[in-house]
Amino acid sequence: MIFEQILLQIFHNFNQERTISAPFHLLKGKRSGQTIQDVGIYHLHKFFSILPKLSRQHYNDILNSLIEQQYIKVFDEGSYLLTERAKEVAKIGEGYFFNGWYYRGNEHIFFARLSLIVQSLSHQGENQMSFSPIQKDEQIQQWVRQFLVVNNYKEGHLQQKLFEEMVSSLESSNLEERAKTIVINRLAGFQTAGLTWQQISYQEKLTEMDVQLIYISTLHSWITHILNHSEKYVLLHQLAKDIRVIIPLSGSAYQTAELFRKGYSMEEISHIRRLKISTIEDHIVEIAMNDPEFSIEQFISTEDVKKVMMAVDDYNTRKLKILHEVVPHLSYFQIRLVLARGEEVGT
Amino acid sequence: MELEKVLEQHFGYTSFRPGQKEVIEQIVNGKDVIALLPTGMGKSLCYQLPGYIFNKPVLIISPLLSLMQDQVDQIKQLKEKRVVALNSFLNASQKKGTIQHLHQYRFIFISPEMLLQQQVQQKLISMELSLIVVDEAHCISQWGFDFRPDYLRIGEVTAKGNRPPILALSATATNKVLGDIEFYLKMNNPYTFIHSVDRPNIHIGRKMFQNREEKLDWILEHVIETEGPGIIYTQSRSKTESISERLLQMGISTAAYHGGKDPLDRQFIQQQFIDGSLEWIVATNAFGMGVHKQNVRQIIHESIPSNVANYMQEIGRAGRDGRDALAMLLFADGDDEFAKFVGMDDFPNEVHVDLYIEYRRKDELPSTMIQNGEISETAYRVLDYWMHQFHPNEVKQQLYAMKNDKMKAVEEVLQLIQTKSCMREKLVHYFGQTLMEKPSNCCECCGLEYKDIIRKREQSDYKEPTVSWRRRLENILLGFS
Ligand SMILES: Nc1ncnc2c1ncn2[C@@H]1O[C@H](COP(=O)(O)OP(=O)(O)OP(=O)(O)O)[C@@H](O)[C@H]1O
Ligand SMILES: [Mg+2]
Ligand SMILES: [Zn+2]
Repeated sequence: MIFEQILLQIFHNFNQERTISAPFHLLKGKRSGQTIQDVGIYHLHKFFSILPKLSRQHYNDILNSLIEQQYIKVFDEGSYLLTERAKEVAKIGEGYFFNGWYYRGNEHIFFARLSLIVQSLSHQGENQMSFSPIQKDEQIQQWVRQFLVVNNYKEGHLQQKLFEEMVSSLESSNLEERAKTIVINRLAGFQTAGLTWQQISYQEKLTEMDVQLIYISTLHSWITHILNHSEKYVLLHQLAKDIRVIIPLSGSAYQTAELFRKGYSMEEISHIRRLKISTIEDHIVEIAMNDPEFSIEQFISTEDVKKVMMAVDDYNTRKLKILHEVVPHLSYFQIRLVLARGEEVGT
Repeated sequence: MELEKVLEQHFGYTSFRPGQKEVIEQIVNGKDVIALLPTGMGKSLCYQLPGYIFNKPVLIISPLLSLMQDQVDQIKQLKEKRVVALNSFLNASQKKGTIQHLHQYRFIFISPEMLLQQQVQQKLISMELSLIVVDEAHCISQWGFDFRPDYLRIGEVTAKGNRPPILALSATATNKVLGDIEFYLKMNNPYTFIHSVDRPNIHIGRKMFQNREEKLDWILEHVIETEGPGIIYTQSRSKTESISERLLQMGISTAAYHGGKDPLDRQFIQQQFIDGSLEWIVATNAFGMGVHKQNVRQIIHESIPSNVANYMQEIGRAGRDGRDALAMLLFADGDDEFAKFVGMDDFPNEVHVDLYIEYRRKDELPSTMIQNGEISETAYRVLDYWMHQFHPNEVKQQLYAMKNDKMKAVEEVLQLIQTKSCMREKLVHYFGQTLMEKPSNCCECCGLEYKDIIRKREQSDYKEPTVSWRRRLENILLGFS
């Protein structure tokens, strides 16, 4: 059910301008120009790459069930139409917090670290220092070994400290009880095995897919909470290190972003970097697309943003040439910025 | 040197199990050895102990990453630090570092593809080894039940002039497979130790049905009435899910297990099975290797296995504690056709050969076939190997011959199902051995009372109380106080 809600929400955002395959590529996090651009244009940062292992088969099954329930009509050439009922359902999906763009599956690294630390501390508490580590990845194991040493696990206080941090962060983040239960059920310790997805799904009366979506959503908001209050969570903050992708930009755009952040103007950057101004513009568009917090209002007034959006609506197009004819007083650069940002800006 | 002392000192065991001492003695004398010991008999010890006699590293070639990890964990639990796994899990810099210090380890686990890499080869030439171990050696033979083309190339390494002894280990191998092992590994007149494949405490049952539904009904009834722990083997991933779902609904703690499961899930299932909180596991043949549970009481084959060796391996999970166990082989009309079909599903055919050529012609990676869903990963592995060996037409012939063999293998299982004489005798015979003695309640044909072997299931209404997440975390981190 949750999966269906999310899918409908994505379809809704795509505004019937992409094919039925687009949500699949988005959820899987396909690194193609089209998918990446769409993330910006249709403002789909949330959902990018949250299900890298999704199979086409599973996706098609759900799609078929959406068709059967008359939420969506699909046409031969792959375009689609959402029904009014679908829009209602899509709204419910909005309740789930995701930040796929920034975590890109790294939430699983966070959890892998956590689960191995918890397993180790659990065994240490029982004086059982040899056990089969639940995380087999050497890099995770090495990381955890270091974490334990740096935080003086031998003193024996780490268990209590970690417990307190986990409880207080989970309690103060805005999560439903069920979500916390799911995440904690995936931990294991001394003589305590974790629960499988199948077992949790049976217990919670949800499909396995929905359980996993709640799990990912929970990790996203939990990690976000931890990062926003890093001073409070001395241990968890270390686990969340390097989990958030800083700015997923191409190397050259990254340098431009750095200079821009330091306060240089576009002309100055063009001069310093000996690059054409149009190249710098490309970079700025890429930044606007990648970073939802980057304000484009420094380049174009809210009023003009609305005008562009209206032109997009009226002429039902995103072609630059046509849009430029409608709002000739704006530059191509400005129009591209608006398109890069997608719906959200004007509203 | 007293081997018993080394055994006691490093492993804490007081005596050898059958075969271990014979094998180790030969290795110490510098001879090549092939050892066939039933599952769970302690094959690993045959190379672990020599590691403490020689002062040079032991190199162990192992087919599965998960298996390798398991063995590394096992050795680490013996407080041995000088053990390493060289496999594709390592990133470039880790790999480089490991290779550099390779000579300092006591046990080096390696995957066949890693073994053939040039940097590894170079390092191996520059250092001395005390022993080369090929674990699950039947993987080298296309007559075996788990053929891995990569294994064939191990011979390139073992063919070197001045090499240490080779130890080839397997649980089940027919004479044909034994021949392949010796030949492809280029072994030098090896000493061969073959333990009887018979497991007298496993009693072999069999049941025929009109159709698949009847069969499922029987399983559900049987499981609710008799005691586990047990494993139900079935052919497809989706069947593991659907059968386990049914059992769960009846209140039996069950899990589905197959190769597509989340790695963490697989560990949870193993752990729960071993600690007794799971009664039944419904699995594809992916479940088994590396699972050391002593008291499995029942194995049920919901679908017929694709060959006799597989069957042997799978029922071998039962009764490792030496106590009685029951293995039930179920059969409904048409199952054999289905088994052939499923077997082929994981096997390349002529169409795949043409596709492969087509991809090459288009200058695309043939492995894209996997992503495009045109071939399974296992099938691709086989195809890719042969395409590098032969001309496409020869490959087609080769595949055709192999396909015939696979059909034959299913027929052999069918014989076991249809036999009116002793099933145990037939099984043992398959491996070129003769049965010395029949246990009581031997098999369905000799006469078998299930209730003499397994117990009635005690209906327990006890349910683990569900605890809050907070309490659960507290229990794990701070202990049950
Ligand atoms: N001499 C011994 N005395 C007691 N226990 C032993 C002895 N040798 C091995 N074992 C134990 O037997 C168990 C099985 O050993 P091992 O994993 O080597 O089996 P295996 O033959 O490799 O099985 P598989 O075919 O499943 O790989 C291990 O727990 C091991 O510690
Ligand atoms: Mg073994
Ligand atoms: Zn018999």
